[in-house]
This record gives sequence, C-alpha cells and structure tokens, in this order.
Amino acid sequence: MSDREHMAGDSDVPEGQIELSEEYRERLLLAQRTDAEINAAVLRPMMETGPKFWITVAILSAIILWGLYAWGYMIYWGMGTAGINNPVYWGLFIATFVFWVGISHAGTMISAVLRIFKADWRRPITRGAEAMTAFALLMAGLYPFIHLGRVWKFYWMLPYPNNRFMWPNFQSPLMWDMVAIFTYLIGSSLYLYLALIPDMAMARDHSVGWRYKLYRTLALGWRGTEGEWHKLHRALNIFSVIIIPVFLSVHSIVAWDFAITLQPRWHSTIFAPYFIMGAVYSGLAALATILVIVRKSMRLEEFLRREHFDALGKLVMVAGLGWIYFWFAGFIVEWYGNDPVTRELIHDEVAGKLAPLFWLQMTANILPVIFLAFRKIRTNPKWLLGFTLLINVGMYTERVLIVVGNMQRNYLPFDWGTYKPTWVEISIVAMTFAGFILLYILFSRIVPYVPVWEIKEGRLRYSLRRIGRLWVPTAAEID
Amino acid sequence: MEDTKHLMGLFRDGTETAQVIDSLYELGMEDRQVTVMTGVPYPERSLGRHVEWLRLPNIVLAGALVGFFLGLFLAVITPHLYRLDIGGHPTVGFPPAAVITFVFTMMATIVSTFLGVLWEMNFPEFGPKHYDKRVTDGYLAVLVEHDPSEEGQVRKIFEQHGCDSIQRSERQPL
Repeated sequence: MSDREHMAGDSDVPEGQIELSEEYRERLLLAQRTDAEINAAVLRPMMETGPKFWITVAILSAIILWGLYAWGYMIYWGMGTAGINNPVYWGLFIATFVFWVGISHAGTMISAVLRIFKADWRRPITRGAEAMTAFALLMAGLYPFIHLGRVWKFYWMLPYPNNRFMWPNFQSPLMWDMVAIFTYLIGSSLYLYLALIPDMAMARDHSVGWRYKLYRTLALGWRGTEGEWHKLHRALNIFSVIIIPVFLSVHSIVAWDFAITLQPRWHSTIFAPYFIMGAVYSGLAALATILVIVRKSMRLEEFLRREHFDALGKLVMVAGLGWIYFWFAGFIVEWYGNDPVTRELIHDEVAGKLAPLFWLQMTANILPVIFLAFRKIRTNPKWLLGFTLLINVGMYTERVLIVVGNMQRNYLPFDWGTYKPTWVEISIVAMTFAGFILLYILFSRIVPYVPVWEIKEGRLRYSLRRIGRLWVPTAAEID
Repeated sequence: MEDTKHLMGLFRDGTETAQVIDSLYELGMEDRQVTVMTGVPYPERSLGRHVEWLRLPNIVLAGALVGFFLGLFLAVITPHLYRLDIGGHPTVGFPPAAVITFVFTMMATIVSTFLGVLWEMNFPEFGPKHYDKRVTDGYLAVLVEHDPSEEGQVRKIFEQHGCDSIQRSERQPL
C-alpha cells in the first residue's frame, strides 16, 4: 500500500462501513488524488488564459495608464492640482496608503501566525495571502513617493553622506514609517519566495518554453533532498517568528504618524492597537474576497473549500469584534472628555456633514460581524464575498474619516477648512487599485496559486481512526 | 571517487524507502553515499537518516546583531554628525532610537535568514545534477553512490523492497 492510500484511510478500514460526516469527507477529498493529479489540477488553470483574462488585463492596464498620466500631470503642475490644502494636508493619498498597509496584514496573519499554531486549514490559502501582502505593500509604498511631489528627489530620504549636509531625521515618525514599510516589504517578499521554491521546482518539472526557463531559475536548483527540506522548514519557522513583530510594528508606526501629533482625535494611546486590529480585519476580509473570486475564476473549488471559508469567516468575525471594541474604547474616552474641538469633530461625524460616511462605516463594519456568526453565511461563497466586500468599503471609509475628517478641525479655529478630492487624486488612487489587481492576477497565472507541497505535507498528517461507530480523520504530529 | 557509479531507485512508499536505507547501511554504505529526494517534506528522522546540524540559527543571530548595531549607529550616532536641533527635543531621544534600532534589527534578521538558508543549501546551483522529474509526482528517489562492484547488491535491495524503477543515474540539467 502506498503512502497515499495509507493517508486516505488506515490499512484496516473496512470498505463500505465508513461513516464520515460531510465535513470530514470534504477534508479527505484530496487524499483520493495522486500527487501527479494534484500537480496537474494546480498547473492547468495557470496555463489557460481565455479572452476574459485578457480583457480584464486590458481594462486594468488602461486604468493604470490613466493614473500614470494623472501622476505626471501632478508632477508637472505641482501638488496644487490635488485637493489637499491647509489644514487637510493629507487627503485620499494617505487614507489609501493606510488602507493598503492594513490590507497587507492578512498575509502574515494567515501564513506566519497560523503556521506557528499549526492550523492545517491555512495550507491552501497561504500563498494567496502572502502575495496579497507583498502587492498591497507595493501599492502602499508608492504613496510616500506620490505624496513627495518632487518625486525625483526621493533619494534625499536615504541616509548617505552628501555635500548638502542633509540627513534623514530619525526622530520623525515619517522616517520610521519608511524604514518599517521597507522592512515589511522585504520580509514578506522573501517569505513568499522561500515557500515558493519547492513549487517552482514542481512547475519546472512540468513545463516547457519560457515557463521552464523562468521556473528553473526561480527554483534555484531545488531537488527535494532531505537536507533541503530540513533547511527550508527551519528557515520558514524562523521567518514565521520574526515577521510577527515586524507586522505588529508596521501598523503601529503608521498609527504613530497620527498619534504623535497634537491633532484632536489622533493624539491617543489606543491608536496603535486600534490600527492593527483594523488592519487585520480589513486584510482578512480582503483575503476572503480574493479567494472567492480566484476560486471561481481559476476553478480551484477542490482546494479552496467550505472548511477554509468557514475558518476564515470566523477569523474575520473575531477581528471585527476586536475592531468594534477598540473603536468604542477610543470613542467613549474622547466623547466623555468633552474637549471643545473633539466635541465639534464628533458632532460633525455623527450628525454633521460627515454623517453619511460615519454611518456607512459603522454599518459596513458591524453588520457583517453579526451575519458571519452563522455558518451558512460563512460557508456560502456569494454571501462571504458580499459581506467581506462590505467590510472593505467600511474600512476604507474609516481611513478617510480618520485622515480627512479629523484634519478639518484643529486647535486653531481660524485654520479650520474642508477638503474635496480632485480628479488627479481619484485617478491615482484608482491606479493603485488597478495595479494591485493586475499584479495579483498575473501572479496567479505565473505561480502555482495553491502551495502544492504544503497541501501534500498536510495529507501526510491525516489517517482514519475508529471512534465508536465513526471513522474520523486524525492528525499526526509530524514536526 | 571517479570510479564510483550512481544508481537511483524510485519508490512510492515512505516505509519501504526507510527499509531500503536501513539495508543500504547494513551493506556498509555511508550516510553521504545515500541521497533521498522527495516531493513532500517527510518528518525528520522518519526515513532513518542522520539529521545534519544547521548553522542557520547562528547566521540569523549574527545578522540580528549587525542590524542592531547598524540601527543604533543610525539612530544614536549620526544625529550628532548631522545635527538638527528642534526646540524642546533632545538630539537623540530614547523612543525614536528604540524604534529605529528595532526595525533595523528585524530587517537584518530577515535578510540574514534568507541569505543564510540559501548559503546552507548551496543555492543557486544550476549545474547538472542527479535527479528524476517523477520526484515531484510523488515518488521517493533513493540515489546511491557505489563502487561498480556493489551494483548488483544495491539493485537487489531495491528490488526486494518493491522499487518501481531502477536506473543508472547521470548528472543532467534540471
């Protein structure tokens, strides 16, 4: 009997007498497949690109080109073409920057945290989450450059001896921001790539032409010797531990960009954990949205199953409860303090001109938490897609309210103002959304979207064990 | 070792593979003469093989120390070289220095982990190697480096344990 058959059921499982619940049957489905069949099932959708794919690529490319034109227009005519002004010197650019940094947090959450806790359900979705992290950070990383205005002088931010006697101010949270995001981008990209090497070798062994050359290069000469596996495992475990404090520090530092100022409603000790919880909430929701779409478009139903959506939905719900708690903990203290400017801001939000955005934020962030408590909702891809999209509408609105809403009022009432984004800002923001989607779909067609070796490793863990009348899957400790 | 030959056997089952390795050791083969390749990471020691000691943790630690001192240098020393006096602020403050030092430590730790594991694996290595593409399709490949006189015995061990394919192995481009 081969290992595969052994996995599907321990040697003495009497045929025809197996009573498995639907949940278990689903989890064991892949055990009926050979490794070669799993390889083929993952590689096939990568190679097939129909007209819908190319139309999508063309539309996204057009949006990106338009955004680049808008950016060029802003560089040529100056930052005045954007709607930012005094006092709202951070507009949609920074709100969207915070949004993308937030989205990037799901990758680490899914990949590193769940790897440490040995949560098996993470296996098919880790790569999608890691890719989301890397591409979201790339988009976030564009905004400091966009916001510079004179982008060609970006190298002035780098610490190197120069005859201008200029040096980055490491006391500034904006400098911490740049360093932290760069670190997280390096870390998440290397983490993504490291776990990809065995699958690059698998793709190399099953491809020809330019794909063969690409995969051969990226596989770095991987053969799957025991030593290679041992070292890879050790490195991934170290990465999982290292990347978690980085992930916590990045959004804390982004929060401190705000909290360290004396701006009303920003100057709060709770901002860092509140930002982190919001980031995890929006990131997990975005991951669920993407998984539902990728599952359908790449026909990966066999790998991305109801049990994964169920578990992911629970995580989204828990993160949502955490977000509600932190939001309320911050809000009640500010409301009770009754500081005049804060009171004005709260009134603007709850019952003033920002009220539509505020109530959209609250509805879109709280309603899904209630519905995701039901398993039927979590395991239904359409419902999950709808609610997780709603969450990200809510989280984007929250970022806009934090950045734009609060900047309209400060402790100098003569300096109060308002803000309206221009076509330049909207086009550049649209460019980054299109850029993210384009990078993601190209990635899914070039790289095995499902981590094949992790799935096969997961299969090694399961066998059937009889408990009373039932044969139930049992997971082995193999680390 | 110019006179040595390589024989590769492909197996479907981990238990059989472990038994083959035991038999090869009984034949007098040394650990370095046997290489096992799999498409799935088998648990350490499950195939009865020696687990090698890794230098990776030391490399990571060294990287972390380099990052720590680099961060400290940037956050604590360089502000004195390029002074930027802001009213009421010290030239160097502990909280910003802590943030910068932490982030640089983590950055160097991450980079050293990545470079360290590539160095340990001797990657990238694009030259010809002993390999069979069926490994990623679920086969376990046992590659044995042996004297020409031992070929018959190695073949026999492979056959006794239900080997699916036995072949003389030559280095080939991956």
